[in-house]
Amino acid sequence: MINNTFQVFLYEIQRNIRRKGYIFTTFLIPLLIFVGMFLFNTLAMEGSNDGEPAIDPNDIVAQFEDINVAGFVDLASVIDAVPDSLADRMVRFPDEETARSAMQDEAIDVFYVIQPDYLETGEVVLHLPGLQLNLLNDQPIELLIERTLAGDIDNQTLRRIRNAASFQEFNLERDAETDTASREDADFLMVYVFTIAFLLSLFMTNGYLMTSVIEEKENRLIEILMSTLRPFELLAGKIMAMGVLGLLQMVIWFGGMFLALHVAVTLPAFQNIPVLLNLQVRWHILPTLILYFVVGYMLFAAMYSAVGAISGSMREGPQYAVIFTLPAVLPFYFFALVLESPNGPLPVFFSMFPITAPIGMLMRLSVVDVPLIEIIISLVLLALTAVAAMWMAGRLFRVQVLLAGQTPKLSELPRMIFGGRSNGQPKAA
Amino acid sequence: MGSPAIVVEDVTKSYGDFRAVDHLSFDVQNGEIFAVLGPNGAGKSTTIRMILDIIKPDTGRIAVLGGPINAARKNRIGYLPEERGLYTGVPVLEMMSYLGRLKGLSRSEARSRSMAILERLELADNAKSKVSELSKGMQQKVQFAVTVLHQPELIIIDEPFSGLDPVNRLVIKELLLDFRNGGGAIVMSTHQMNQIEEMADRMLMISHGQQKLYGPVEEIKERFAKHAIIVDGKGDWAKVPGVTSVEPAGNGRNGGKLLNLAPDVTNDAVLAAMAQDKTLEIDRFERAVPSLDEIFIQVAGEHATVDQRVG
Repeated sequence: MINNTFQVFLYEIQRNIRRKGYIFTTFLIPLLIFVGMFLFNTLAMEGSNDGEPAIDPNDIVAQFEDINVAGFVDLASVIDAVPDSLADRMVRFPDEETARSAMQDEAIDVFYVIQPDYLETGEVVLHLPGLQLNLLNDQPIELLIERTLAGDIDNQTLRRIRNAASFQEFNLERDAETDTASREDADFLMVYVFTIAFLLSLFMTNGYLMTSVIEEKENRLIEILMSTLRPFELLAGKIMAMGVLGLLQMVIWFGGMFLALHVAVTLPAFQNIPVLLNLQVRWHILPTLILYFVVGYMLFAAMYSAVGAISGSMREGPQYAVIFTLPAVLPFYFFALVLESPNGPLPVFFSMFPITAPIGMLMRLSVVDVPLIEIIISLVLLALTAVAAMWMAGRLFRVQVLLAGQTPKLSELPRMIFGGRSNGQPKAA
Repeated sequence: MGSPAIVVEDVTKSYGDFRAVDHLSFDVQNGEIFAVLGPNGAGKSTTIRMILDIIKPDTGRIAVLGGPINAARKNRIGYLPEERGLYTGVPVLEMMSYLGRLKGLSRSEARSRSMAILERLELADNAKSKVSELSKGMQQKVQFAVTVLHQPELIIIDEPFSGLDPVNRLVIKELLLDFRNGGGAIVMSTHQMNQIEEMADRMLMISHGQQKLYGPVEEIKERFAKHAIIVDGKGDWAKVPGVTSVEPAGNGRNGGKLLNLAPDVTNDAVLAAMAQDKTLEIDRFERAVPSLDEIFIQVAGEHATVDQRVG
């Protein structure tokens, strides 16, 4: 019996690991992420060599860009004297008319008028010779005012004054120090990626499980198999094989993600992407995730194989499977809610209710440390439901149902599941 | 001779109120081809599935290859059901190797035996082709190859020649006869009566789950033989002493006349009388033994008539 189950297991692994869909999603997606990452880095670096460098605040020429010489009229009297470093580039004019004539004479490219109420409003008007977007630049006047107001303050302090604080939050619920905006983005990305990967793997492998059962029914190979195997041996071999393929997929994806993150932070092009730098994968939740995947997989494998057993054709199976798939992905539709309040009533309900628990708990675990007792209760409920589903699948996955050419009527299902063996069902098989 | 390959004793199987098999008993010996025939819905498939332990009988006892069916004995059986299929998207050799391993062969044994049987069936070049790329006839041969791959001692085969052209039919027929001559037992369920007449040693006819005919094919035909002769030639056959009536011999007898004889008259006496009558020209003279087709129609028809009357 063990040998038969093992042979089915090996064969299903061998057959399904070569499916184009599985190869693509499992191996090519991480590969594409890596290739994309390096392409992005290469292009970004090439772009930077093409004349669009990151602007250094000390590089005056860079800050002036296409403006050679700019004029300014200081109606607020904030500029006592033009610093020596800017003397060649910034020319003071007593009034707008003089400045305009200088611009018309092309002595200056543009001029700025610092408004009388500048200290209250910060208002500066830029005058251009025409609609020339390359001259639309406020850096020269900002630099002049900054240097003048700053006096002897060094550049580092000046930069700190310009960006006084990078706000940190300490949220008891989230239990982590975070830079709010980029951390939220990082959380969103993390939950999104984890959930999509989990869903894809769970339903892809279970989809394969269901179609392999239907295929054997549809092409009438099932009777030959039944002359050698017990239905349970066939089912167990298939479920184990697809489970291993699903786990392999998850390991490759998350391993790929781990590598990608570690590589990405070393690439210059990713240094300026705060979301990426703030991405903190909660690796310690992986064992819990794997446990949820395994138990969740068992639940859905039971349901999908039951659907496979009663489906008469490849077209029918996926239609029936929607009954389980839709509720399972329900937490995904409440993505924002789970992110905003992972310990709120609805996210907690999703993580407890067996059908939604695998996805619901995964989403919560991705952003918050869920109390152990909640994880235990959720897992126990999920495991009990999985056992019940396995029992139900076992009742349906039997010879008479598998050998029947037609899908049973909905009204016949309760009798097939809960009824005795005398009513048209074989004693055992 | 050893113990029979199959012993079925007083087996009954019902689905709800419908009795598919009704107190059926028979045995199949090693080294024989045993035909199971009967109208559609007679209980043939249920009987075969019970022998293979796919379904369990309600009552009765079944012994296969010397005892109750178990996993080891299942591995000594080759089964080809009527509705059969293959994994279409998989290379032939890989699929055969899997099904061989399910029958207890090692990976290398399964592959080498698969290649050997594919070569015998002239399919070796297709070993790496996907099943879906083969013609229907080739797929039929692959199905047969899967059935005998593990060198079973008992083959149970439903409609072995369906979908095969005459050449491939001959190939499969030779393989089955070789298997039988090598001491293997074959249970063959088919509606092709000519194949039974040509190949089967004994037969069982079932109708409504009950045994209707059972025994050596020749004996059964003999049992249904009329006290009559078939003749071909010229002359007035009715005037021959002992002939009670003359009628056309019927389909499948190459023309001729059927002469019904009086109960106390022997064939030899009729032949002697004909030889002395110079007005008769005799080209053929044979005992009127019915074909299996006629026996089948007669037996199945009787029950259909009874059913209609009862119903």
